[in-house]
Amino acid sequence: MGAQQNPRNLADQTAPAPLFVAEHVDCTVPNDSGGKRVIFDDLAFHVNAGEIVDLTGASGAGKTTLLTAFARLNVNTTGTFTLAGRDSGDFTPQEWRRAVSYLPQTSMLMGETVADAVRLPWTFKVRSRATKGAGKTPRELLPDATIRALLDEMGCEDIDLARPPANLSGGQAARVSLCRTLLTHPRVLLADEVDAGLDAENAAKVGVVFTKAAAGGMAIIRIRHRQSDHRAKRIMVLENGKLHEEQAGEPVEAIAR
Amino acid sequence: MNFMMNAGAATLAGESLQQVLLGSVDDTTDANYFNISIWGMILALVMVVIAAAISAAMKMGVAKSILWATCRSLVQLMAMAVVIVYVIKANNPWLVLAVLCVMVLAAAQITMTRASGIPKGMTGIVMLSLVITIVLMLTVVAEIIVHPVPWYAAQLIIPITGMLLGNTVSALSLGLTRFFDSMRERADDVQTMLALGASKWEAAKPSMVSSIKLGLLPSIAMLASSGIVTIPGMMSGQVIAGKNPIEAAKYQFVMLAAVGALTLLADSIIIALVYKRCFVSFDRYFVPPAAPAPTLKSLVHRSPATSDDSSGSSESLRSATDPENDPMDDGK
Repeated sequence: MGAQQNPRNLADQTAPAPLFVAEHVDCTVPNDSGGKRVIFDDLAFHVNAGEIVDLTGASGAGKTTLLTAFARLNVNTTGTFTLAGRDSGDFTPQEWRRAVSYLPQTSMLMGETVADAVRLPWTFKVRSRATKGAGKTPRELLPDATIRALLDEMGCEDIDLARPPANLSGGQAARVSLCRTLLTHPRVLLADEVDAGLDAENAAKVGVVFTKAAAGGMAIIRIRHRQSDHRAKRIMVLENGKLHEEQAGEPVEAIAR
Repeated sequence: MNFMMNAGAATLAGESLQQVLLGSVDDTTDANYFNISIWGMILALVMVVIAAAISAAMKMGVAKSILWATCRSLVQLMAMAVVIVYVIKANNPWLVLAVLCVMVLAAAQITMTRASGIPKGMTGIVMLSLVITIVLMLTVVAEIIVHPVPWYAAQLIIPITGMLLGNTVSALSLGLTRFFDSMRERADDVQTMLALGASKWEAAKPSMVSSIKLGLLPSIAMLASSGIVTIPGMMSGQVIAGKNPIEAAKYQFVMLAAVGALTLLADSIIIALVYKRCFVSFDRYFVPPAAPAPTLKSLVHRSPATSDDSSGSSESLRSATDPENDPMDDGK
């Protein structure tokens, strides 16, 4: 499954071109005293289609900053980003973020019901333009049954779609958030500590969901602090402003939260 | 509102001032108009002094501010009255225009002083918003509805402009404060929406709606309560001056409706122009820091922004709507 079996490349041993490439990624934040502080400098990253890459490192190292840089959401970062060979400047910001979707650590669910919250992305022009042309409402495009199915896979059978999102626990909200982003089918998913607040059983279910999504061709970068669940092809560590790859097989230290 | 129209008289400000102070206004008005003499003014001042003394005795701490505000009010109202008398006598459209310009500048300065938490470089937008609504007000209400002769009749244009500006200043400062507060509060929401592919407009819309609604509340409250709870100032003034209350009510309604509509328009224009200030290049969320309140002098001189802040804006309309003015540009 995944990029390695791209039919075009069966004949040769070279890996296919990565789906997402980030180069020369810098981050400088303003200091309290008016100067600037460099968080990291000239980082490079890539992910192939269908690949899961885990990003770990100490708290405050800049992992979230790196992912928000990839989605071009961060005002303190610069870099060159390419998706399937196309530079990010060729996309509108909305098209870029539809394809390279950042899932924040803090779940913000907007809407009166869980179903409304999950359908939020389809109220935006970048997606609704397709629906308006087809004369469909967000509800028609994303029926309750689809939402229900994915939520059940993540262990959220007990979450009623008509429930107000404010009543959800942290772990439930995080999974609903993941559901919302997954259903938009981004080409690259940047997941920021999605399973941080989950018990082992639900974290495993979410892991399965990630593997399934990757099998469908999605490139996934996960920020994780838990022990490696061996779903990632590579583990990158962000330390002292530099990235290096963790050797496969070494257990990643679980950092207590 | 029958000011004297002494067409052939000399147009000296001194004469106007004398008339105002000594209460010797030419009584070509209705016999039902009751003037207030200088003793009346002094008695009113004495009332305030007594109230201030009570406050001082009870250590409430408002004595100084109410005394100061009353004296300011007296001087400002009299000054305005003198100006209006002079301008009416002078019968010169340019003079009327000059007074309007000063009023708009002062309104812009007050708006930006009362609005807290707004970034630099808002002068152009605020002035544009005010000017558009004044032009509409004067065209529709002054010229079409009332149709004065001459068309630049100061006794109509200046008070109408004053009423509109008073309302608009309130709505704009409320609306602007609320908008930037809301955009700051909703930081996580905005980032999430942007991450899901929202445009600037889509991400800012809840803040825009809430701030326009808030800015409109006073106007709506005024419309709802007029006639039942209060008789608004304009109608009261005309009735006191001896006009037929029905005519006064017609005037008042036209004014309330026009002011309500134009306040909504001004608020909407300004929020629609300003929401982009909370984003930098590539539609990234960044609310500029609050700027110190401007003075009238700084408004008139309009010096460009000198500090190196990330919004990189100068005090011009173009930069406010152009998100590319950003030194922290995401590189290509």
